[in-house]
Amino acid sequence: MAALQLNRLDQDRLDGKLGKAMQFAMETIVSAAHVDQVNELVDISFAHIDACFYNGRAHLDFVNYMLDHGATLAVPSWTNNGLVSLNDLSLRDPLASREMNEARQLMQAYVRLGCNPVWTCAPYQLPDRPRLGEHIVGSESNAVSFYNSVIGARSNKYGDYLDVCAAITGRVPFSKLHRDEARAAELLFDVSAIPAAIRANDLFYHLLGHVIGRKCGHRVPAIAGLPDSCNEDDLKAISAAGSSSGSVPLFHAIGITPEAGTLEMAFQGKRARQTIQIKFEDLRQARDELGRNSDRPLAGIALGTPHFSYSEFQRLVELLNGRSAAPGLNCYLTTSRHVYQQAQEQGWTGLLEQAGFRIITDTCTYFSPAINGLRGKIMTNSAKWAYYAPGMLPVEAVIGSLGECVESAVNGRVMLDQWERA
Amino acid sequence: MSSASFEIAANVLIPGRAAGAALVLTDTLSFWGGFDPQTGEIIDVHHPQYRQRVGGSILIIPESRGSAGTPGGIAETLRNGSGPRAFVLGERDVNISVGALVANRLYDLSIPVLEIATQAMSEIEYGDHIEIDLDGTISVNPRAG
Repeated sequence: MAALQLNRLDQDRLDGKLGKAMQFAMETIVSAAHVDQVNELVDISFAHIDACFYNGRAHLDFVNYMLDHGATLAVPSWTNNGLVSLNDLSLRDPLASREMNEARQLMQAYVRLGCNPVWTCAPYQLPDRPRLGEHIVGSESNAVSFYNSVIGARSNKYGDYLDVCAAITGRVPFSKLHRDEARAAELLFDVSAIPAAIRANDLFYHLLGHVIGRKCGHRVPAIAGLPDSCNEDDLKAISAAGSSSGSVPLFHAIGITPEAGTLEMAFQGKRARQTIQIKFEDLRQARDELGRNSDRPLAGIALGTPHFSYSEFQRLVELLNGRSAAPGLNCYLTTSRHVYQQAQEQGWTGLLEQAGFRIITDTCTYFSPAINGLRGKIMTNSAKWAYYAPGMLPVEAVIGSLGECVESAVNGRVMLDQWERA
Repeated sequence: MSSASFEIAANVLIPGRAAGAALVLTDTLSFWGGFDPQTGEIIDVHHPQYRQRVGGSILIIPESRGSAGTPGGIAETLRNGSGPRAFVLGERDVNISVGALVANRLYDLSIPVLEIATQAMSEIEYGDHIEIDLDGTISVNPRAG
């Protein structure tokens, strides 16, 4: 294979002329290019950093090395969720353990490095998002999928450290989803046989994402038959669910997403080698996989995985229609600081808090350690939450639409719509 | 299989020297969520090698799975000494490679990461004594009996 092409600036970075932090970052990028077997690097315009999510002392040592050796960021870099909430340290208390304290220090270190502290797994809900065709670095799996699929920005799924090294150098290996040919759809999921009333329900998109993640393997899927009502919240659900049950860093929705105006566009002129008809039974099976409703009492509701959007806040307030959650339930809603402020300006956060919802920013509820009260049977509108939480927390999950979650919260027991029992 | 020792020519992703007993994982693994980096234990209940500890082994693994957190899990287990002495992969896995690279740099280690063909992977068995050289030569000494 031809040697990696480095421009003069790359070479200076590698030779240590721009400091030791830059040299370490560039060595890591060059090493990644070697692993990916590519001989070209490409400039990026943006990074979404996951290394701010604590997973042991090494995370802190890494960012401290970078800070101590003069690292700066070459591109706008936004932070993913942290393990703790800097807005509400009582959720996972830094005084309670060394790990939580280091998790807090880690988040603060990334602020010192120059990151924009948005602390969200749904950064695409904020203004100034990347545009079609831009090369970027995404790390959080649902965000990688959303950026690639819904916006048409180009990112591989970058892991911890490589995301930061890319942000410091502004460079990544020119591999996989950064290249046109890797973005062509390879198989088609046809959902047009699903009754229209079900396709209009928000839960449909979570279950569809779960099914696609299970079935597509490493191939790029395209979806035909989504209704005109399909919006960014729905596409977020596919991004998150598909990246939990499987690996779907890019999907195309025919007639909806920017690289899939037509079937021909999505497949880049080639024919679909395989078409899979999604049936109602597939959705029912996905729902069962994500948690069967047991006889235990309902203990709580978890919304906002990935982080709740402005339009989801609006819908939740409409569905509650002035009612409150049943006493004794633990109802949690996670969102970004930005969207929280938007919702606050509408008076919605106050309404929801009065209705019994605790609104959390900067972090999420599905991972360990469990935030206060989160145990037992928990209902969620998120396939991602239902997929991961039972493995990490003392909970069992039941998935439902946002409407079902609201009725269940108000009544204090799991209330499912008719279509699920059809 | 013959018990004679043999060599495998591997592709070097991260160079280093190592020796130890093979621990063969028969499925992919996420090093965030499926692995405890404090103890080096596989905690993914669906994994065929659930409850095995990777510490001190030459870890033979098809590739990592999923999470962006894998490099952090790798670096942390190498930092605290609960990790393997080398990684021998079936795919060119950038997350495992970057995790090892960062740990090597921060903690002055030289944990190698190598890639070998699927066929060669099936020739290595649990407990075989493995030696890895800087150029990627893997010497396999099958476990007695």
